[in-house]
Amino acid sequence: MNKKKIDKLVLASYENVFLNKKKVNRIAVLLNKSDFKKYINALKLQEKKKNVFISAPMNDPNLNKFKEFFPNKRIVFKKDPSLMLGVKIVDNDIVYEFTLKNFIDKISTYIKQNYD
Amino acid sequence: MIDNDRIIEELEEKLMTLSGDSKSQNVGIVMKNTDGIIIASGLSRALMGEKILFEDGNIGMVLNLDEDSASIMLLGEASGVKEGDSLKTSGQMLGIDVSEDLLGRVVDPLGNPLDDKAKIKKGKNMPLEKIAAGVVEREPVNFPLKTGIKAIDSMIPIGRGQRELIIGDRQTGKTSIAIDTIINQKSNIKPIICVYVAIGQKRSTIAQVIDRLALEGALSYSIIICASASDPASLQYLAPYAGMAIAEYFLQKGKDVLVVFDDLTKHAWAYRQISLVLRRPAGREAYPGDVFYLHSRLLERSVKLNKENGNGSITALPIIETQANDISAYIPTNVISITDGQIYLQTDLFNAGIRPAINVGQSVSRVGGAAQTSAIKSVSGKLRLDLAQYNSLAAFAQFGSELDPETQKQLDRGRRLTEILKQPQFAPLTESLEILSIYCTSSGLMDDIPLESFQKFEKEMHDFVKRSYPNILDDLSNGEKPTEHALKQIQKAVIEFKKRFVL
Repeated sequence: MNKKKIDKLVLASYENVFLNKKKVNRIAVLLNKSDFKKYINALKLQEKKKNVFISAPMNDPNLNKFKEFFPNKRIVFKKDPSLMLGVKIVDNDIVYEFTLKNFIDKISTYIKQNYD
Repeated sequence: MIDNDRIIEELEEKLMTLSGDSKSQNVGIVMKNTDGIIIASGLSRALMGEKILFEDGNIGMVLNLDEDSASIMLLGEASGVKEGDSLKTSGQMLGIDVSEDLLGRVVDPLGNPLDDKAKIKKGKNMPLEKIAAGVVEREPVNFPLKTGIKAIDSMIPIGRGQRELIIGDRQTGKTSIAIDTIINQKSNIKPIICVYVAIGQKRSTIAQVIDRLALEGALSYSIIICASASDPASLQYLAPYAGMAIAEYFLQKGKDVLVVFDDLTKHAWAYRQISLVLRRPAGREAYPGDVFYLHSRLLERSVKLNKENGNGSITALPIIETQANDISAYIPTNVISITDGQIYLQTDLFNAGIRPAINVGQSVSRVGGAAQTSAIKSVSGKLRLDLAQYNSLAAFAQFGSELDPETQKQLDRGRRLTEILKQPQFAPLTESLEILSIYCTSSGLMDDIPLESFQKFEKEMHDFVKRSYPNILDDLSNGEKPTEHALKQIQKAVIEFKKRFVL
């Protein structure tokens, strides 16, 4: 099955922004192993496109402000203490990182590269 | 002033990368790894040729951009990258760090040292791919690059900024010519930086080259880029571009650089391999459609800059290996058409003891004549014609019919000219000694020397003139056409030497 057909199946699996479990299961039965793998990968990609993940070290109501920047997407909040401070937003393949962890990583890489 | 501005700009750029401001990153996921070619999803903002960073520390370069995936050439160990690994764009094009520290070093195409010497300090990042200098910045080739090989300097002269192809079958002495040329740069007043790029060769062969350069004291002004047969095709593909990027660093400083690509046949093989894995349509001999552009964009970066742009130059000596002397194969014809001439080496000549085995009839230098000095031009003007006449007469003489004295004389002269153009490996000569040898033969001064003793006579005569008549060599090395007085001095010296010479 070519990519276009797989994409059509993926679009058909959705109702608004949510996957329809019944439809998905019906499609899954009809596919062979190779197409089934392609279908799952395409669903994953689609999920990434439809969702925006916002990670922060603690839950803060101020994070809701970011919702307005992504009007047509589902926002998923995640708590990640390893970020130390700041916020990390993942929108499909674009990552915005305003975290202390990222800043420290950058400094250490810079020192490693520039000093013997 | 401009330099200062540039330095401050660079510092500001560094500050940007260090500041706490967020920067968006473009990430992706590895979908497939096929022999070092990675297909990745995401990377919607990636650029062609951009450097990609993998989570395991590997780096790659974007070669294809599709609707929702990108193909990345991995520059490292392919087995470490698995499906599902994450990667990200770097915002930089692939480059190599270059500084004066590279001189005398052996590095891979990414600038990592391969010898056991000290760590190379970070220098200027030079892009591997760059558009060649425009016509406004250039000037015609006008200064010679001496190879120290009589046959080349007299009949196929090479100028600084020229691209001269060395082509021939295996084991015909292609690398030797390039190595001799590098060794000969030792005697230059204005030093030439030499970059030797080994592509797809055996490591033992590369080690021999390095040893020879070290032995001859040529390593101090040379840089060796090594992408051996056991390295991934991606590194072999990048090696010549890395060589050119290093050369451009020194060019920007107004220096003259010589780059040897040994050899571009294997470079084309590496690119063919990558292209086939990328599923690009295969054309003639299974090479992709852009294999001409692969070499033309590389060799076009050879340049002679004008005075306003520093007056530096990059001379390229690409090497092509033919199969059974077939110079009409795909890659040889491509590179012949790109370069400014070729030195054609033949197995038959090599086996007949004519070394360097240069086929004078099929070798040509399209722009080097303008760079030749008046001194060597005056003695070598008739040489090519005489040899061509000799070759055609020699074919007739094989029938064994009786020849008139004039033809006999021409044949004899031809044999002597062929003999004097023979030269041992790793023994390049200065221009004055080249002129001396060629003048003595073409003027008939050595007609009474038996052919078997020709090489011995030449060597001992050079020593004699160096010892007893150094002023002759001084006169011949000034680049001017030799005066009547100088020629008479040569005759006198040769006659005197003949009396001492023992056959």
